[in-house]
Amino acid sequence: MADEPDPGKRDSNDKENFWVQITRYTQLAFIFPAAVVVGWLIGVALDHWLHTTWIYLAGLLFGIAAGFVELIRAALRNSK
Amino acid sequence: MPEQLWFTALLNRLFASPVTAFLRSLHIEPRHPAAPIANSFAMEILVFLFLLVLFLMVRSRLSVDCPGALQHMFEGVEGFIQNQSNEIIGHHSESYTPFLAALLFFILFCNLIGLVPSFESPTAVAVVPLGCALCAFIYYQAQGFKHAGIGYLKHFAGPFWWLAWLMLPIEIISHLARVLSLTVRLYANMYAGDMVTLVFISLVPLVLPIPFLGLHIFVSLLQTYIFVLLTTVYLQGAVADEH
Repeated sequence: MADEPDPGKRDSNDKENFWVQITRYTQLAFIFPAAVVVGWLIGVALDHWLHTTWIYLAGLLFGIAAGFVELIRAALRNSK
Repeated sequence: MPEQLWFTALLNRLFASPVTAFLRSLHIEPRHPAAPIANSFAMEILVFLFLLVLFLMVRSRLSVDCPGALQHMFEGVEGFIQNQSNEIIGHHSESYTPFLAALLFFILFCNLIGLVPSFESPTAVAVVPLGCALCAFIYYQAQGFKHAGIGYLKHFAGPFWWLAWLMLPIEIISHLARVLSLTVRLYANMYAGDMVTLVFISLVPLVLPIPFLGLHIFVSLLQTYIFVLLTTVYLQGAVADEH
């Protein structure tokens, strides 16, 4: 009996986890475009520094990949 | 000369020369040498001074037997942050509470100060949320290194060593994107809230703006909560033993 979780306490924890989950999901709406912009900016900066013209494309692709990685992580975290 | 609030004008009258000299010593030429202090910076200083006085008042009136209303309020906020950190990070999260509480109070008062006539929210200017986001970023990275030492860098290498060349730039971009995401979320919400309130006050100065002032307070509280909650989530990722 002592090992059984207190239902009231469990409900309270679930509610708190629910808010954390909401914040994590709403964060995805910002983190995905932010990752693309950051990747592009790093690429542009490297192009400017190294006098090249193609690194911004690689930066853009890495940014998109970073956005997807965050998306997949969030999905996996909540499906466990 | 830029448009200045009365507090900014006061600061510029008192400190314009030393601030301009300091900026020039760093090879930064201020746009207005006679008024180098911007409204947003002046409001930050005001919030800092207000919080300093508030904390000193609480400190001087601490009582175990007969706690006052202010002490109750601060203990409530501290307990709330402590519970949230415990739930997300787990045990040993107590050491992060001072930083998270300071961040919460600073952002909350920066958001709410815009409701006081003749003041404006510094968080409605992009550099202030950026500063807060950079503080959060530096803090959680430092805690990651403090927790795992140089092994913290393994977090950036991904789950397999042979994927490190691909995961390293992705992780770096992902971490930097968190700074941009925190900045844009707080800045955009506070700027939009300020604009909506301002438009309705200028259209109909009586009664109608009251719901929008209420909305501004709600957005201020919500954005502060989200900022602190996300910082806690990032801290949890940095100090987690397995990643």
